[in-house]
Amino acid sequence: MSLWHIAWSYLWNRKLTTALTVISVALGVGLISAVLTLRDETQRRFEEEGQSFDIVIGAKGNPLQLVLSTVYFLDAPTGNVDIEIYESLKGHEDVTGLFPVGMGDSYSGFRIVGVTRDLMDFTPGGRTPYTLTSGRYFETPFEAVIGANVAEDTNLELGDTFVGTHGLMASVMAEVHEERPYTVVGIMERSGSPNDRAIFCDIQSVWDAHSHGDDSGHESDEHHHHEQEITALLVKLASPAIRFEFKDRINRTSNAMAAIPIQEIQKLYEQLLGTAKLVLLAIGYLVVAISALSILIGLYMAILQRKRDLAIMRALGATRGEIFGAVIIEAFWVTLLGIGAGWLMGSAVCMALNRYLVAQVGFHVPPVRISADLVAAYSAVLLMGLVAGILPAWQAYRTNVARDLAEL
Amino acid sequence: MVILENVKRKLGPGVAFSCEAFHVAQGSRTALWGPSGCGKSTMLNLISGLLRPDSGTVQVDGQEIQNLSESGLDAFRAERIGFVFQTFNLLSPFTVLQNVILGMRFADVRPEKEWKDRALTMLERVGLSHRLNSKPGTLSVGERQRVAIARALANTPKLIVADEPTGSLDPKTADSVMTLLLDLCAQEAVTLLLVTHDKGIADRLPGTFDCTGLVREEAL
Repeated sequence: MSLWHIAWSYLWNRKLTTALTVISVALGVGLISAVLTLRDETQRRFEEEGQSFDIVIGAKGNPLQLVLSTVYFLDAPTGNVDIEIYESLKGHEDVTGLFPVGMGDSYSGFRIVGVTRDLMDFTPGGRTPYTLTSGRYFETPFEAVIGANVAEDTNLELGDTFVGTHGLMASVMAEVHEERPYTVVGIMERSGSPNDRAIFCDIQSVWDAHSHGDDSGHESDEHHHHEQEITALLVKLASPAIRFEFKDRINRTSNAMAAIPIQEIQKLYEQLLGTAKLVLLAIGYLVVAISALSILIGLYMAILQRKRDLAIMRALGATRGEIFGAVIIEAFWVTLLGIGAGWLMGSAVCMALNRYLVAQVGFHVPPVRISADLVAAYSAVLLMGLVAGILPAWQAYRTNVARDLAEL
Repeated sequence: MVILENVKRKLGPGVAFSCEAFHVAQGSRTALWGPSGCGKSTMLNLISGLLRPDSGTVQVDGQEIQNLSESGLDAFRAERIGFVFQTFNLLSPFTVLQNVILGMRFADVRPEKEWKDRALTMLERVGLSHRLNSKPGTLSVGERQRVAIARALANTPKLIVADEPTGSLDPKTADSVMTLLLDLCAQEAVTLLLVTHDKGIADRLPGTFDCTGLVREEAL
């Protein structure tokens, strides 16, 4: 019968106290697990997406807004730029991929994104975020390929038609382009990217829809476009090393603004999400510290109640070291169970948030995965648990056998 | 087997235990008899190494124990002493079988593979083969004391120290437990020192040592 078994038997003997202590540890560990996983996963997905294109070119304004609106479909575009910039960069020696984007309409809150057909064949970083699960890609204007979330939420199927509404937000007040219906010709595979929330069509569709809009009399609309404008230009360069130089050149020599998506996203993380993460992690570790205190108090009280058992063990021949070790092992068991339960709690939180994040930003958050950061965090929690066990273990170590047996 | 010479131990302000001489032979069965507070249990604790004398010599099984280190005393107790207490002192989270095995586990005086067989043998000899997986809380007081006796003898100790082993039992159960203890100690050729304030119990053992006056107030 090992000390591990002996320690476990004593924990089992006071199940309720043990369970409460385990839960208190689990709460802290769960919070830490969820925060680290959400941070890692969202950062990884944001950066992965941010790496898809080296440069985004759009109307002058806030570069982060430009990146969020064109790469992540999250914010309003900064405006439109003349198509001339697209033409001027065609065939540029530093450019390996050049994709114009036109936005302005939406359907049921999902953006209609006008692009050129070659974007559908683009495989950033070996990923295939434009893969179809059924149908085909658009070939003519007003044919649409819809993302997985769009298909799920709107129940649109191949062959179905829909009409876009002016603006990027769902609104009953918005102008509807009744005369220019789109036909669904393809449904995309879920990629866990912003594409899941997008409706792709030929950019000519966007131009045509708004040319028609001009004809039908909403000249006063501040968003009206003509065929010679695009919302943004997504650029893939021959080498990421020339991103800064390229960006500077565009900003210096044109009326447009160039931004590096990954740079903007990392800035966003550092400035906003970085602070939020630190606050949440601090709360997580505070909960764990309080849990460690509860381990300490729980074990200390247990040792006081168990003085007789400890004295008996010593009388039976148990060494002081074995008694000390058994109590430390109890702390270890409680902390380990707390970490296990916390991992499950963290996964449950991530699963719950996954639904929200999929709907809001198209990112899937997996259950808590063991990462280097998480291993470090769990190790820190385990260490805190063991440290919390030292005082009770020392109390047990100092058992006065004769006195404690005499006090029975 | 057990020799105490000029042993003194301070117990509190102005109170001390003092024993000039005490000798028992190997294999003997001796009652330490006397009224409450006379020093019987203190003497037992000194002999079993649970207390250290301030002066004098305590020799058990040929070894002087008063100067042993803490770990030396742990090993001494584990290898040579078997304890039977008034309140049984079984460990409540463990089954009857585990309680007996635990004694051997801490003493570490025989190979681990023999623990279970030895525990089963001893529990059979105390008539508890049918309660192996019971927790102490479900046993009668007589059964608990029989488990304690099985545990004390499982290590094949040289000396059994029994502190009021029948103190918590009714007369009928006390009688059967005493019979069991005496029989097993005889069968195992183990020396028995038994503390009791009951003259009737003391008279069942071949030898009696009167402890009256071992603890007394010291002159200021």
